[in-house]
Amino acid sequence: MKNHWWKALGVIILLYTFTAGMLLPLKPGIVAVNPSAVRTGDTVTLSVQGYNTFFTQSKTPVRAWLKLDEQRALAAKDIEVISDNALRVSFDIPAHLPVSRRVQDFTLLLDNDVDGASVLPSALLVTQDSIQPERGEALWANSPITDLHEKSGITFPFRNILAETIRNTYFHVALWFAMLFLFIGGVISSVRYLANNDLNADYRAQAQTTVGLIFGLLGLITGIIWARNTWGAGYKFWNLREVDVKQAMTMVALFVYLAYFVLRMAFEDAERKARLSAVYNIFAFVALIPLIYVVPRLTDSLHPGSGGNPALGGEDLDNTMRMIFYPAIIGWTLLGFWMAQLYYRLIKAQMRVDEG
Amino acid sequence: MGLIKETLALMRKDLVLEWRGKYALSGILLYVFSTVFIIYTSFDEVEPKAWNTLFWVVLLFASISAIVKSFVQENSPRQLYYYSLTNPIAVILSKTLYNIGLLMVVSLLTWACFALMAGNAVKDNSQFFLALFLGSVGLSITFTFVAAIAGKADHSATLQAIMSFPLVLPILLTLIRLSANALRLEQDSSISDDIAILAGIDLLSLGMALLLFPFLWRE
Repeated sequence: MKNHWWKALGVIILLYTFTAGMLLPLKPGIVAVNPSAVRTGDTVTLSVQGYNTFFTQSKTPVRAWLKLDEQRALAAKDIEVISDNALRVSFDIPAHLPVSRRVQDFTLLLDNDVDGASVLPSALLVTQDSIQPERGEALWANSPITDLHEKSGITFPFRNILAETIRNTYFHVALWFAMLFLFIGGVISSVRYLANNDLNADYRAQAQTTVGLIFGLLGLITGIIWARNTWGAGYKFWNLREVDVKQAMTMVALFVYLAYFVLRMAFEDAERKARLSAVYNIFAFVALIPLIYVVPRLTDSLHPGSGGNPALGGEDLDNTMRMIFYPAIIGWTLLGFWMAQLYYRLIKAQMRVDEG
Repeated sequence: MGLIKETLALMRKDLVLEWRGKYALSGILLYVFSTVFIIYTSFDEVEPKAWNTLFWVVLLFASISAIVKSFVQENSPRQLYYYSLTNPIAVILSKTLYNIGLLMVVSLLTWACFALMAGNAVKDNSQFFLALFLGSVGLSITFTFVAAIAGKADHSATLQAIMSFPLVLPILLTLIRLSANALRLEQDSSISDDIAILAGIDLLSLGMALLLFPFLWRE
């Protein structure tokens, strides 16, 4: 048991990741608002569709605002709760807005004591008939947003486009990190081969690289599925201009490591194969590092972390998610090295069989 | 200063061999000329954006076929002879430097071919030739090193292509950006960062090549 504890640890961590990552609920959020565009001067009634919300169970009445900016917001005139997930909210939109834009977007903010506050950015577009900011200032009935409630209990953040798919963070992103660690392990094994000329180190490098490649493929596939669900089917995952660093590095790493295996196939002699592929492995790994600097400079991508998309860090990866995301990376990495060890033994056994 | 002397001697040998055969350069020239001719006949007019892409694609293939032979032409008895005579660093350094020179000639010829047949789209000459220089340096370091590996196999040309294309991707992406700026396809004030990245990549891969080549050489 002394030498195998890390395998058990990996499995336990992954079980924890699956259970907590799949079962914990999302924070309440707003899914849709209808109508989403109105004109000034009307009293509009919006039907609001909530997600994971409990409007009927709130002890204090539900409150709603249309937020213009940090200082200015309109309070709801009337709120009718239809069910836990549906509301009807009326607002008096003044005849003129205190802005000099024709179309102004408003953020919808709901608050009650069970769900806490939930937000839908750019929920309502208001078109002005004529632009008169001064009259808009005069007509504006400001009601500051105060006394917001906090949701109690453990939840994942609700992000508008991501919704439930936010759970893919524990698979897609964690697999990518595990792939990187496996490739680093492979490079270290290659260095050890060149230092000691021990063929076992070369088998280890081959095994770790193979498992890393599998993880990379899985990360790519989960990324494609995720992108299709959130950015729409038109998203081209192979288009480097829309791809981000992680996706691009995965793609290029796949090419590099496929070439690594072709290189291994090209030689019969074990020593020669080991030496050449170790040298290529190290050179390729170092040559790919600059991609981290190159790709972000190409253009804005849709991927988290660029062009205003939510990413790791800041408010997007909250502490609840961290409690599962970091263990997920460790769990996948441990599982990967376990797989690599099994494959390494298989290669060794195969070699022994081949030698007769 | 044995290293510099050895490097220069090996470079001279490559140069003399090339001069006697005139095989590599004339082959590349013919390749570039025919490719540009095809481009010229299939496009009525080459727009700057297409010009930029096609230029680097043609140059990429021209340089890979120029460099793939660097180690194949050295048969194993001759390699053994060098091994007993010289420092491995001098061998890779001489090949890399020779290939940098070769690629600069090839890239200037490619540019001349493009300018002659498809029109010259370059607006900022100094920036474009800086890109050509840094590109030749980066491509030849990586290609030469990969050629040293691929040269040991039977189907070295295929192996060379599949092993080196992903590796030069960072260089190529930066080069296309840099030359897009030189063609005034896009205006970017942070172009000096791209030049720094390119120079950094060149130095990094040169360092790795010098570090790892002795291991290839040993067998």
